[in-house]
Amino acid sequence: MSRGPVRPYVITGGRSRPSRNVLEFESLVRSVPGAQLEPGALNREQQALLTICRELLSIAEVAAHLGLPISVVKVLVGDLWDLGAVQVVPPVRPAERAPTALLEEVLVGLRALR
Amino acid sequence: MASVRSAEPAYLPSTVQGTVKILVTGPFGVGKTTLVGSLSEIVPLRTEETMTAAGAGVDDVAGRPGKTTTTVALDFGRITLNPQLALYLFGTPGQQRFKPLWEDLSRGALGAIALVDSRRIEESFDVLGQLEEHRIPFAVAVNLFPDSPRYPEQELRAALDLLPDVPVMQCDVRDRRDAHRLLIDFVDHLRTAALEYQR
Repeated sequence: MSRGPVRPYVITGGRSRPSRNVLEFESLVRSVPGAQLEPGALNREQQALLTICRELLSIAEVAAHLGLPISVVKVLVGDLWDLGAVQVVPPVRPAERAPTALLEEVLVGLRALR
Repeated sequence: MASVRSAEPAYLPSTVQGTVKILVTGPFGVGKTTLVGSLSEIVPLRTEETMTAAGAGVDDVAGRPGKTTTTVALDFGRITLNPQLALYLFGTPGQQRFKPLWEDLSRGALGAIALVDSRRIEESFDVLGQLEEHRIPFAVAVNLFPDSPRYPEQELRAALDLLPDVPVMQCDVRDRRDAHRLLIDFVDHLRTAALEYQR
């Protein structure tokens, strides 16, 4: 069954900000296999998100594949995270590790691609 | 509007434990999407983000009547650097009016490559101003179009009013090897700058 476009705040239950503020475009998401969820607890977009995230994808990739804005996907992921239905892998911040060590790791990786 | 959606996502290896990002910025038509495509291991993806044109205090993804909203296309790609680390490349217009998107993207970025078209240098002024204002480490990369005038570096630096620590590079962004070399040179520059800062 096809459906018309739905305005983003309908999908997100009226909110434009995720319940956790640490989600970034490049944060990675993966569904938690066998998460115990109440039937009917999830809307269609959340179900689609869980299906597409059976392996690791970034929030930006999820948004592109589902055809939703990143801001909406952040809200959906935040809710699923609260429910224990997804795992989130945060980005590595240059300030957290010695920035030179991180940049060296990136450089080694890029050079190995030649 | 064209959007790239493939049926089956290209998943990351399950061993990946973190991500880093580099921005590719510059005015419309400068070659950002082409550069991201030349570097990415996946077919580049696109999302469309809605924001208020004025940019301040965006709080409502749906927009409100009376507010001017604008849609910005965000093209991005990915490189798996090693089994634990993946790099995302975000191509984004860096102009002042896209500030909310810009602030999300620049948070935690390793740096930005600012593409410049030497046939229309003045279109890059706004983007370079944003990079300086947000203190994002960046390099200028002149995209070599077939009919691009080849200016001596000093002339280009003067025209763009660049600080001495901003490197000027050149690249044919359509050429994968050249694009790859540009990215390596850029990260090498970031590392050298970080080393000097530590001393």
